[in-house]
Amino acid sequence: MNAAEIVKATVRIAASPAEVFPYLVDPSLIVQWIGTWADLNPQPGGVFALDMGDTPARGSYISVEPPDRVVFTWGIPGNEVLPPGSSTVEILLKADGDETIVELTHRELPSEMLSTHQAGWDECVEKLRQVAGT
Amino acid sequence: MLKLVRSNELAVGQIATHFPITQQAVSQHLHVLERAGLLTERREGTKRLYAFRPESLDAVRNVLADLWPEALERLKHVVETAKSKKHGQTK
Repeated sequence: MNAAEIVKATVRIAASPAEVFPYLVDPSLIVQWIGTWADLNPQPGGVFALDMGDTPARGSYISVEPPDRVVFTWGIPGNEVLPPGSSTVEILLKADGDETIVELTHRELPSEMLSTHQAGWDECVEKLRQVAGT
Repeated sequence: MLKLVRSNELAVGQIATHFPITQQAVSQHLHVLERAGLLTERREGTKRLYAFRPESLDAVRNVLADLWPEALERLKHVVETAKSKKHGQTK
């Protein structure tokens, strides 16, 4: 299955991956660079909730591998294009000398998963079924 | 349904052949998706044709294309600032 990339972004930071990693999993640290409020439970299946002003981002951690990799799902409640759990964000921290290269990839879920397995989308389809009375 | 109309504009009847539900039910599903802004509807005589609206995904993509690079720049700033402060304290 091939998940399409939505956005890719990268930055170089003058610190080690171990120094950067807490900023991906600690609510008080993550809000220093994204969002205004966060509730994070950094373990597989744990909640990933972030408010960016009025816009909430909701999902859950898929993989937490200190000090160099985090993957979580991402979506916006009420947004039909990107409902919660409909996309994933992978953040890789690659050591480069004394520095860290941060590589962030935001991907769509494979369409096969969107149409059959993915909970958020299934819920949406189920709602449509109810609306349609079938 | 979205996958079906992603590359082709299709009539309700054509879409309905892919689902084990009545054409009326399919029609209602399509109407919900259209109201959600995911599809466009066009009438041709008595036929109603549906197509995917790529702008809906593009809009989200544009927001994220701004969001992540800006966020990572802030991450760089806060980590490096915190590190230089810490460094200053240990001196």
